[in-house]
Amino acid sequence: MEYITSIKNLNLKFPKEEGLLFNDLSISIRKGEKVLLLGPSGCGKSTLLQVLTGLIPRSMDVPLKSESIQIPDSWGFVFQDPDSQFCMPYVDEEIAFVLENLRIPREEMTDRIKKLLTTVGLQLDNIHNKIQALSGGMKQRLALASVLALDPEVIFLDEPTALIDDDGTAQVWDTVKSIADDKTLIIVEHKIDQIIDIIDRIIVFTDDGTIMADGEPAYVFSHFKAEIKRFGIWYPNAWGEYIKEKANITYNNYSDTVLNLDNFRGYRGKVPAITLEKATVQSGEWIAVTGANGAGKSTLILSLMQLLRTTGEYKIEGRPIRSFSDLEKKTYFVFQNPEYQFLTNRVIDELTYDIRQRVSPDVMKQANDLLSLFGLKDKQNQHPYHLSLGQKRRLSVATAFLQDPKILLLDEPTFGQDSKNTFKLLELLQEESRKGTIIIMVTHDLNIIHHFATRVWEVKGGKVICDWKKDEIKREEGRMYEYTY
Amino acid sequence: MSKGLKLTDILVTIVISVGFGILYKIWGPLYYAVKPLGIHMDQLIYGMWFMTATVAFLIIRKPGVAFLAEVAASSGEFLMGSEFGLEVLFYGIIQGLFAELLLMAFRYKRYDLLVVSVAGLSSCLGSLLLDFYKGYIGDLSTWNLILYVAFRFIGTILFTGVLAISIVNSLEATGVTNLVRSSSKKDFDTLNQ
Amino acid sequence: MNTPIKESWLHKVNPALKLLILAILFVFAVTIHQLNVMIPFTLTVSILFFLCTGQPYRNLFLILIPFFLVFFSTSLSMILFGKGDTTLFKWGIIHVTEESLYRGVHLGFRALVFALMGITFVLTTKPVKLFYSLMQQLKLQPKYAYSFMAAIRLIPIMFEEFKTIRDAQKVRGLHSEKGVWSKLKRIKALPIPLLSQSIRRAFRIAVAMEAKRFNSLQERTFYYQVGFSTYDLLFISYIVSSIGLSYWLASEFPLFPVTDVRY
Ligand SMILES: Nc1ncnc2c1ncn2[C@@H]1O[C@H](COP(=O)(O)OP(=O)(O)OP(=O)(O)O)[C@@H](O)[C@H]1O
Ligand SMILES: Nc1ncnc2c1ncn2[C@@H]1O[C@H](COP(=O)(O)OP(=O)(O)OP(=O)(O)O)[C@@H](O)[C@H]1O
Ligand SMILES: [Mg+2]
Ligand SMILES: [Mg+2]
Repeated sequence: MEYITSIKNLNLKFPKEEGLLFNDLSISIRKGEKVLLLGPSGCGKSTLLQVLTGLIPRSMDVPLKSESIQIPDSWGFVFQDPDSQFCMPYVDEEIAFVLENLRIPREEMTDRIKKLLTTVGLQLDNIHNKIQALSGGMKQRLALASVLALDPEVIFLDEPTALIDDDGTAQVWDTVKSIADDKTLIIVEHKIDQIIDIIDRIIVFTDDGTIMADGEPAYVFSHFKAEIKRFGIWYPNAWGEYIKEKANITYNNYSDTVLNLDNFRGYRGKVPAITLEKATVQSGEWIAVTGANGAGKSTLILSLMQLLRTTGEYKIEGRPIRSFSDLEKKTYFVFQNPEYQFLTNRVIDELTYDIRQRVSPDVMKQANDLLSLFGLKDKQNQHPYHLSLGQKRRLSVATAFLQDPKILLLDEPTFGQDSKNTFKLLELLQEESRKGTIIIMVTHDLNIIHHFATRVWEVKGGKVICDWKKDEIKREEGRMYEYTY
Repeated sequence: MSKGLKLTDILVTIVISVGFGILYKIWGPLYYAVKPLGIHMDQLIYGMWFMTATVAFLIIRKPGVAFLAEVAASSGEFLMGSEFGLEVLFYGIIQGLFAELLLMAFRYKRYDLLVVSVAGLSSCLGSLLLDFYKGYIGDLSTWNLILYVAFRFIGTILFTGVLAISIVNSLEATGVTNLVRSSSKKDFDTLNQ
Repeated sequence: MNTPIKESWLHKVNPALKLLILAILFVFAVTIHQLNVMIPFTLTVSILFFLCTGQPYRNLFLILIPFFLVFFSTSLSMILFGKGDTTLFKWGIIHVTEESLYRGVHLGFRALVFALMGITFVLTTKPVKLFYSLMQQLKLQPKYAYSFMAAIRLIPIMFEEFKTIRDAQKVRGLHSEKGVWSKLKRIKALPIPLLSQSIRRAFRIAVAMEAKRFNSLQERTFYYQVGFSTYDLLFISYIVSSIGLSYWLASEFPLFPVTDVRY
C-alpha cells in the first residue's frame, strides 16, 4: 500500500524535559485519507504534525530519533494563531510571497491570487488589503489560500479555528470541505462536530502519546467510547451525555445587587467601542457574553476591568468605580491570550503569585489541588510558556480560583480544551458562582450558554443589544441557533 | 560569515532589533533632552545604542548576529523617521562591525560579562571614530573631551555588559532561548533509553 | 502619519538608488566644513522635504519640532565648550569663542540636514518596495529582506502586545504598590515578557515561512518589479545641481566670514 507520509518508531523529547513525549510511535497515512488526530490536551498532537512535515527537526531543533520518517512531497500547514503565520503586510503580497517561492512568473500572479481568494471565499474589493484589518476567520481563510497556492497533496491543520468565532469556524471548515476532494487532510481539532462528516479515519492518542485507537469514525466511537470518555476527549454528543449524567444544575438564589451599570461606555481612543445601556447584576449570576469576532466582547470586559477608559455609571456594591484602583481586587480578569498573563517562571508560582506575601500551607494545598485537578501536577516546575495551548489556558484560568473576587471576568476560557477539562472548569466556575461570585464570561459555546449561564449578553457592532435571563434563553433558543449557524 | 545563519536566527535577530529600534526612537529625544545639560551627562545613556548587538548575540550565540542586530536596529530606527536620519545607519554599521570583530576574536565561544562589555567598548570606539569626523569632538576642550569619552565608556559597560547580561539571564529562565539554540548531545543520548 | 498623501515624483524614484545617493550625500555632508556651503545645502534639502513628501503642512511642522531640538542641543555643547581663540563670553567652565560658535552652528545645520534627508526618504519610500528594490538592484539575500518585511509588519502588533502585557501585570497585582521602588520594579517587569513574546512570534513566523517553501538559496520571481525611470535622472540632477549651487553661493555670496569651521 502506498503511504504519503509515515513515521516508524519515533522517539522524541523536548530539551531539558524529563520523560519522552513519544516512545516508539509509528504512524502511516495513505494518499487521499482525511485523518483526524484526537487526544487529550497536551498529548503531543501539535508536535506530531510538526514532525510529519519535517518542521521538526529542520526548522525547530527538537531531539528525535526514528527508524524512518517519510515526509510528503508537497504539503501545506495552517497554524492556529492567525497573527503569527504571515510575513507581509498586505493580502496580495502574502499570497505572492508563496508564488514567488514557487517561481511563478510575475505576469500570472495577480490572476492566481484572485482565483485563490475566490476559492477560499475571501471576497475583497481590492486584493491590496491590509491583513491587520481582517477578522480572525478571514485571516485563517487567507492562510488557507496561501497554503492552496502551494497546490499541496497534503494539508495539515492544527486547530485552525481555535481563535475564531462560530461564523468564522463554519466558514473555515466549509472552505476546507470544498477543497478537500483530491487532497490528504491531517487535522488536529478538539471540537469535532463541524468536520466529522468528511473524516474517514480517526487516530486517538492517550495522554502519554501512544495510539489507543485507529479506524473509521463509526468504529472508533463505538468500540472505544469508554476510553475516549475516560481520557476526556470530545466525541459526538459528549454534551448530551454529560448533562444527562449530572443532576440538575442548580444555583443559589441571591438577591443582593452587586453590579450597577447605566449608560456605560468603554473607549478605544476617542470613540466609544462598547455601549451598555443599563444593567443590574445580582451576586451568583453567570453571564455569558456572545457575539461575532470583533463585535466588542473583549472590549466590554476590558472596560469592566477598567483597562480602557470608560464613562457612565459603574458601581460595585454601591461604590462608584472610576479607575482601576477603585476595583480593589474585587474583580479578576482572565485574558483571551493566556501567555500575556504569565509573570513567573514556574507553573506553581503562577498560581500563588498574587498572594505570594502570605502563602500559607492552606493556599499551597489549594494550589496543588487545582494543579492535580487540571492535570498540570507533573508540569508544576515547568515554565508556563512550555505548556501546550490547552494547558496554558487552563493554568491562566486556574489562577482565578485562588483570588476570591466578587466579579470574575473571563475571555473565552474553554477554547482549545478537551471535554474532561472543559467540564471540570465549568464545574469549578459553578462552585464559585454558588458562593456568590458574579461570572461574566465571553464564550461562543451554545452548550455553555444553555446549561450553565443564567443570563446572556449579546454584543453586536459595539453594543450590548440583548440581555436575556435564564428562562428567556430557552425561549430565544431558536433565534440564537439561527444567528450562529 | 553570515551565510550560515538560518532563517529562524535571522528573523528572531531582526525582530528583537527592530524592537530595540522602537526603543531607540524614544531614546533619541531623551538623549537630546539630557544633552543641553552640557557636561555630557547624555553620554552616560549612549551605551543603549550598542546594546542590541550584545543582547542578540547572547541570545543566539552565532557569528554574524551582533553585526546584523546592530544594522537591523538602526535600520528600524531610521525607517521610523529618526531625528538622526541616515546617520543612525552608518553608526549602526560601524558599531555592529566593531562588536562583531571583537566577538570573533573570542571565536564566539564566550558569553560572559567581560566579553560582551569589551564588545560593547569596541562598538563604542567605532562610534567615537565617527564622532571624530562628524561631530568634531576633537575640537572640544581637552577636559571636556575626556569627560565625554569617559562617560560614554561607563555607560557602555552598564548597558552592553551589566544590563544585557541580566536581561538575557532572565530570558534564559523563561526557556525561550532554547528555541534558537541547538539541542545538546546529552538530549540525544537520553533518546536511546 | 495615517493621513492620505499626494504622491510626488520623489515617490517614484528607485528606492535602492535613493538610499544609495542619500548615503553618498551623508558622506559628502560630513566633508563640508564651511558654514557658507552648509546653509544653502540645507535649504535645497528642505525644499524636497516641504514640496515633495506629499504630507499636509501640519504634519511637516510637527515633524520639525524634534528636529529643532536636535539642532539646538547639538550646537550647544560645541558652542559652550569648543576650542577657540577669539573669546566672546566666558563664565566658569563655559567658554564661548567665535570659532566654537560658528562650529556649533555648523554642527547644528549638519544634524538638521541629516534629519531632513532621512525623513524625506522615509516619507517617500514604502518599506516593502525598498526591500524588493534592495533584492533586485543590490542583490540583498531574500532571507534578510523578507525578515525585515516581517519585522516591520510586527511593529503594530508589538505595540498592542506591550499594552496587553502591561494590563495583564496590572490585573495580576504588579502595579498595586506605590512608590519609586515599585515603579522601578514595574519597568523591570516589562522587557522580559515583551522580548520573549517577540522571540516566540518571530520564531513562529519563520517556521510558517519555511512551511510555505521559502528557500533563500533558490532563484525566485518577484511580485513587484522595481526598475529605473526618468525620475531617477531627475533626482540625480537635483542633487548634483544643489551641491553645485551651494558651493557657488558660498563663493559668490558668503554669509559669514569663516571658511573652515575646524580648529
Ligand atoms: N518547547 C517545549 N519545551 C518543553 N516542553 C514542551 C515544549 N512544547 C511542548 N511541550 C510539552 O509537550 C507536550 C505536548 O505538547 P503539544 O503542544 O504537542 O500538545 P497538544 O496535544 O497539541 O495539546 P493541545 O491540545 O493542548 O494543543 C505538552 O505536555 C507540553 O507541555
Ligand atoms: N487595541 C485595539 N485598538 C483599537 N481597536 C481595537 C483594538 N482591539 C480591538 N479593536 C477593535 O474593536 C472592535 C471590538 O474588538 P474586540 O476585541 O472587543 O472584539 P471581540 O468581540 O472580543 O472579538 P473576538 O471574538 O475576535 O475576540 C473590533 O472592531 C476591533 O477591530
Ligand atoms: Mg496543540
Ligand atoms: Mg475577544
